[in-house]
Amino acid sequence: MKHTLIHLNSSPYSSLACKEGLDLALVLATFEQPVDLCLSGAALSILTSEQSPTIEQGKNLHKLLDGLEFYDIENIFIEKDSSWANTETSWQGVTSLDKIQWQAMFSDYQQVFRF
Amino acid sequence: MQYTLLITGSPYQSKACNTALRFIKAATSKYPNCIKGVFFYEDAVLIGNQVAQPPRDEINITKAWQEIAKEQNVPLYLCIAAAVRRGIISESESHRYELEQHTLAEQFQLEGLGTLVDLMSTTNKVIQFR
Repeated sequence: MKHTLIHLNSSPYSSLACKEGLDLALVLATFEQPVDLCLSGAALSILTSEQSPTIEQGKNLHKLLDGLEFYDIENIFIEKDSSWANTETSWQGVTSLDKIQWQAMFSDYQQVFRF
Repeated sequence: MQYTLLITGSPYQSKACNTALRFIKAATSKYPNCIKGVFFYEDAVLIGNQVAQPPRDEINITKAWQEIAKEQNVPLYLCIAAAVRRGIISESESHRYELEQHTLAEQFQLEGLGTLVDLMSTTNKVIQFR
């Protein structure tokens, strides 16, 4: 069985990329394919709680995070030194990796898709 | 070895569809049948718009994909959710949404992400063009 990493790197509010990346992760999990997530760049803003976008601004993808465990998506990685991490208002279900672990992570998967 | 191509880049804002086309031409010229399927996702689904009319002195990328698909017998799948939200509608979907028009180009078919998962698990490699 192939292990897939979905790498979210786009802003959740400037395009549909994050949403469609998450959709793919959920479908993979639904078909019982092992899938992990990693977040970098503007996609890290998904982790910030207290988001209340209007319908014009886009969907609140933060709300999806708590549901990931029901799909057996348990590994959500971020890089330790990213400025968004470890704040009080950030979602706590992530695993922080140092720079070396972060770089090595991409080689651990048979498939990596970036959104 | 069989490949799946996953194309996510917009045909208008990236060269993903063009680069993938060059790849498929090169790959099938050496190894016919090496591409099991091509899955278009995100803005790449706009490739399946039959009413788009590019200027005559530019490549008609939709037509180029239709030709290679026919020639090499490669299925071209568009993610149905991504396509429908962008106005790429098959005849059967037009009935479902009670529309008079449909815009899906020939050779392309609308499929769910489950088809991509199936391609992933039955081919040796998936290559993303974004």
